[in-house]
Order: sequence, then C-alpha cells, then structure tokens
Amino acid sequence: MNLYILIFKERLDLKTTHYLKILFSMFTVIGIFSMGYVVYFSMHYPLPVSNYISLDAKIKFIRENIDVDKVDTLIVGSSLGLNNINGEVLDKTSIKASSVLNISVYGSAALEVEMLLELTDAFPNLKRIIYSAQYSDFPHEWYYENYDSEMLIKYMRDELNPIEHFLVMFRACNNLFFCFKRQSEWRNNHMMKNKFTYLGFDSTGSVPLHIYGEDIIGHRWRGAQPNIQNPKSFEAVDRMSKRAQKKGIKFYLIQGPYRGPLVEKHQFVRDALTHFAKRNAAIMKKNDGAFLSLHTLLHLDDKYFADRTHLNDLGSMVAAKAVGKFIDKTENIQGK
Amino acid sequence: MLFNSYEFIFFFLPITFFIYFYLNKKHWTQASKVFLVLSSLFFYAWWNVNYLPLILLSMFINYGIGRELSGFTTMFKRYAPKVLLSIGIIFNLALLGYFKYSDFFIINLNRVFHAEIVLWNLALPLAISFYTFQQIAYLVDSYRKETKEYDFLNYAVFVTFFPQLIAGPIVHHADMMPQFSNLKNKIKNYHNIALGLFIFSLGLFKKVIIADTFAVWATQGFDVAEKLNMLEAWVTSLSYTFQLYFDFSGYTDMAIGIALLFNIKIPMNFFSPYKATSIQDFWRRWHITLSRFLKDYIYIPLGGNRKGEVRTYTNLFTTFVLGGIWHGAGWTFVFWGILHGLALVAHRLWRKLGFKMHSLLAWFITFNFINIAWIFFRAVNFESALKVLKGMFFGDVIIPTLVSKYFEGMKEFGWTLGNWSKLYMSESYLLWWFIATFMVILFLPNSMQLKNKFKTNIFFMGLTILFFLSIFMLYRKSEFIYFNF
Repeated sequence: MNLYILIFKERLDLKTTHYLKILFSMFTVIGIFSMGYVVYFSMHYPLPVSNYISLDAKIKFIRENIDVDKVDTLIVGSSLGLNNINGEVLDKTSIKASSVLNISVYGSAALEVEMLLELTDAFPNLKRIIYSAQYSDFPHEWYYENYDSEMLIKYMRDELNPIEHFLVMFRACNNLFFCFKRQSEWRNNHMMKNKFTYLGFDSTGSVPLHIYGEDIIGHRWRGAQPNIQNPKSFEAVDRMSKRAQKKGIKFYLIQGPYRGPLVEKHQFVRDALTHFAKRNAAIMKKNDGAFLSLHTLLHLDDKYFADRTHLNDLGSMVAAKAVGKFIDKTENIQGK
Repeated sequence: MLFNSYEFIFFFLPITFFIYFYLNKKHWTQASKVFLVLSSLFFYAWWNVNYLPLILLSMFINYGIGRELSGFTTMFKRYAPKVLLSIGIIFNLALLGYFKYSDFFIINLNRVFHAEIVLWNLALPLAISFYTFQQIAYLVDSYRKETKEYDFLNYAVFVTFFPQLIAGPIVHHADMMPQFSNLKNKIKNYHNIALGLFIFSLGLFKKVIIADTFAVWATQGFDVAEKLNMLEAWVTSLSYTFQLYFDFSGYTDMAIGIALLFNIKIPMNFFSPYKATSIQDFWRRWHITLSRFLKDYIYIPLGGNRKGEVRTYTNLFTTFVLGGIWHGAGWTFVFWGILHGLALVAHRLWRKLGFKMHSLLAWFITFNFINIAWIFFRAVNFESALKVLKGMFFGDVIIPTLVSKYFEGMKEFGWTLGNWSKLYMSESYLLWWFIATFMVILFLPNSMQLKNKFKTNIFFMGLTILFFLSIFMLYRKSEFIYFNF
C-alpha cells in the first residue's frame, strides 16, 4: 500500500473540497441506484418487509391480488396450512366460505401463528379462521423477529402514506445484498412446485405441492417426528381461539393427516396424535371453536402424501373438500 | 441508536453535524455546545429515556464535587478534600454497584447462605461503566489539582459527547475538554471530514461485514450446540476472538470517525492487538484507554512497582481482576481477569529471569492464550466455557472433506473424515473467511496506521466507498458487544 500511495501520490491527490464533492456525488449516485433497484425489485419480487420470505411473498400477493374487504375465511399455519388445504377447492366446496385466503407461513410454530393472526385486523369481514396444524408444529417456542403487524397491515392494504411507503422502500435498501441474493435464487428455489420451498400461490394464496416419485425426500418420508408438544403452544391456541370468539369469528383447528405406515410402526406417533387431538379438541370446546382431525376422518393413502405430514396437490384437494363440508356442517348449512 | 443504523447515518448524524456548525458559523458557540449536549442526550435516550435522569444526576454531582476538590468553589470547605473525594468515588461505585452488581451479589449470597433473596432484575443503564470511570478519573485529578477550571457546559459535552458516550473509548478530561473549548475546532475542517468519513466507513465495514459474520458462527458454537467436536470448537472460539476484535474496534473506529467530523480527536483504542508477542504487549494494544485508566487510577495508586517485587505482582494481579469485574457481573469475567492477571505476573517473572523466546513462538502462545481466555469472557457460564474448551482439546477429530485425502491413514486411530459439522455452512467458505481474517489482523495496517497515511486521493476515496457499501447489509443489524459492559 505504501508503494501504491507513493506511485500514485502525485497523480491521484485531489484538493480536499474536490475530494469531498466527488465522494458525495458518488454516494448520491449509489443512493439513487439503490432506491431505483429497490423499486424495480418490489415490482417483481417480494420486498423484505419481514424476516420470512414466505410472509414477504404473501404480503406482496395480498397487496396485488386480494380484495381484503371481501375475505371471510383465513387459513393459517405453517407449511401444513400452506400446502395441505387447497384454498381454491375449499372456496368452491363450502357454501359458507366464499372468499378464502391462505396466510400461512412456512415453518411457523404455534406461537408465531398467534403473531400472524395479528394481521386479521386487515380483514373487516372475517368470519372464520382455519388453523391447520399437526403435533410437529408444537415443540418450538419460536417468535417472529422484527415483526411489525401494524406496518404489515398497512402495507398489505396499500394504506401507507407516501412517507411511510418511502421508509419501507428505504429500509429495504439495507437488505440490498439480500435482495440481489433473493432475486438470483427466486426462480430456482421458490418457483419450482416440486420443492418444499415453493411459493407459487394459487388464487387464494395456498401452495399445492407437486411432489411425487423421485422428488420425495427420503428422510422426510420415512422418519417420524418426535413427540414433543410444548404446553405454550396449546396456550397459544387457547388465546387465539378466545380472541376469535370475542370478535365473533369461528375458530377451527384442523389436525392434518399423518402417513399411515409411520403411525402403525411407532407407538409414540400414535400417542402424539392422540394427545394433540385431545388437548386441542378440549380447547376448541371451551372457546366455542371446532376441531377436526383429518387424520382420523380421511385415513389417506400414501399416494396423497409428499412426505410424512405434507400432502401433495391431490391430497390438498381431498383435505380441502373435507374441511369445506365440515365448516358447512358446523355452521348448519348443507354442502353444495 | 446504533451507529450502524439508518436512523443514525442518514438522520441523526447529518442533522446534528449541520446544525452544530451552523450555530458555530453564526458565532453562537455556547448555543452550539448546548445543542451538542442535547443531541447527545437524545442519542442516549433513544434506547431508554428512563436512563436519562441517572446520567444527569451523575454528571451534576461529579461536576460539583470536582470543582470543590479543585478549589474553584468552597461550598463544602468544612470537609477535608480526602473526605470529599471518598464521597465522590463511593457515589460513583455505589451507582455502578447498584445497577450492575446487585443481582450478582444476591445470587452469591443465596448460594453461600442458602437464602432465597429475590433478585432485583435491574436493567443495566447504558454506558454506566464508561461514564462512571471517566468521572472517577475527573474527581481524582481534581483532588490532585490537575484539572483546570472547566465550565459546566464543557464538562457536560465531555461526559455526554455522543461518539464516545456508549462504549468508549474511555476519554480523559485533559485530552477532551481543551478541544471543546478550542475555537479553531468550531470551523468545518474538510480534511477532518474526509478522514472522519473514511474511518467511520472502515469501522462500519469491520462491524457489519466481519464481526457480524463471525458472530453467527460464535453463537452457533456457544449457545446452540450441545456438544462440539474439535474443529467446531476451534471455529467457535476463533470466531468469537475475531468477532470481539472487529466489533469493538469497528465501534471505536466509527466513534473516532464521527468525532473527527466535529474536529474532535478521540484517543486510539486498538493497535493490532492480535499481533502482540506477549500479554503485556497485548494490553498495550487492546482497549488502550481502559488499560490507561487501570494503570493510572488503580495500579499506580495501589503502589505500582514502587513497593517491591511481591507488591508489584499483587498490584498487577489485583488490577486485572478488577478489570475483569468491570467487564461484567459474573464469575466467568472474574476468572477471565484472574487468567490475565496471572499471565501478566508470569510474563513479568519471565522477563526478570532473563528468558527469551522466538517472536513467532511468542506470538503463537500469546494469541492462543488470549483466544482461550476469551472463551470465559463470552460463555454465559462455566459449563458453556468448558463445553468449548473440552471440544478444543478432547473433542472428536473429524477431518474436513477439503483435506481428507491426506488423512486416510488416520481412520484406524478413530479419526473421522468428511462431514465435520452440522453447525456451519460450506467448509471452504469458512476456511476462506478465517484465512482472510488472519491476513487482515496480522499483515494489513490497522485503522490508526491507515489514518496516518490518509490522503485525499482516489485510492482512499475508493476504499471509503467500498467500506460504506456495508450499509446495504445492515439487515443483520446487531448491537455492539461492549454496550453490555
């Protein structure tokens, strides 16, 4: 470096004021370029407004495609909400559920779903919430980080004032390298429906998986999850259903199907399914919610599964039909 | 407000800068100082406004006692200066003790006497360790009649000046206050602005790109993993060693850079500490302002090296144990202080006996000692520290895929080849990070050397821009480690 400075000393030295002028001009150019890029990015890819790509993608999807004032049915949960209940089929099957929106987020634990439900204020005509879960969603005491539901609601409803909107864009700039990365990986990671990271939403925001044959991941297919169910998850369900009850919203807890061979093989899976069903059914009963175990009701064959708990697109249709009928029955309406 | 945040970089800093110099341009120098104090207090209160009265109280009381001790006021002339000084020091230590050490004290009382005293769970007021030390120094120097007559405004700027307020460097009144009074510093200095931006960007880069990358790996090993194999344990400990250095020196660079924008020169705090070839050398290069404080206000008053060999060793050891306690209320910090105290004693003995060592070996031993000692500094308890140490020396040996072909023969000794960690991503990525970081700490000039070589040329402009691009990676925004102390 000494040598470098020595060689270029004469040629590269600038008057301090010139130096600063050029430096600030460069900063301005960089600033303008980054804002321009963020605007471009926000038009084509999900802007990082949360710490979760599927939540970012969902917010963008709702903002651009959904009439939030019409939504009467929300599906929430982890991938078991996103993949397992086909929103479009539910929309068609059920008389009661006439405008379904799936706001599930990949990887959400029960306590995170509770945070997700803070977004319900964005939907003034909401009548029912369907929480699709399995015991494997219940071990973790996880919370979303940097989660600002108020801002998300405004952004989703396109109600940010110009300054707030500028700030959202401005803040996204501090994720610029992250944006580059997201852009470069988007097609391969999130637009392939044979992957568990697929984010190609149907018209209701659900993500039916097209995972068959060699796309199935061996250990996810063969291995059962341990029976760990955190009491805090059940407490979260209790709070969520109570809050829904207070607002006059019907809360449904749907237990997803589990691959039959694994249930037959492992006693602990049977215990886990029973414990999960019993605890949640009791909570639903207490808070005027409704509980349905798709596992017990459908006894689905392996051809409907993408792995031990995730259904493929075929399976998600069957599940959606069953849920639709259940909703209509619960709310005293005959199915279509 | 964090230095590495958009609020600070794009709002607070430019607004403060322009208003400060605008007021000075209008020759409203007193108003500019008031503005600087208020801005600094705003900066401080951004985290928690409840801390504000505490720092104000501390500032008023210390200033009052300081002036009395210097003889500039005589409101308490019936008290002997020594009594006043004791009151002042006790006040500061009581404040620090109450907020920082009360729970630690209760936990130990409960442990020893099997009592069940409820913890107070007090939130540690930000920067309390720093501003308390700075003001103790002011009191002691006032007692020694080594302070000049500073007005309260200058004193308030000295204590609250936002670049150094939260995590140092621990500035000395004699270095700072004349700068705040100097009228030359009230005029915008374009060279200082250019240099300040360069140093700030360098600090930002150190924090955001380097420290925060290593932070992820250190956390994986210390807080996530239940057991570590040998390689994982070394990755964990070295990651923290690098994280701490780049985090703290990055913060210091940012502080120095920001202060330069205001024509204030903050003392350097680091000088390539991991190049040290002895523990004494390390403490001349690491957290220099703390070392200076410990030397001037603890080691020397204890007698320094003037009272015989045994007292010298005792003083040295005591000083570093206290240094350990200053860093945190926990036995792991005490133990870290003990380790450094013992090492300094051993080093002194070694020198006294006239032993010599090749500098490469000396560096190797020093670096590894520091690396191991940091484990106790980082770990939440001894169990966690021992987990890492056990992994480093007795963990399973797994040879990474990159070099496994050279170790085929070691399989029979129980070594495993191949997939060595579930904690960390691609091993080549990790390897390059470690190689590059070692190169940086050992062979590249440090911030202070770069500062001295700085010229307003295209090379440094390119570096400033390159480093400043770190602002596009602030999504990993995290607090600075030394905010906790």
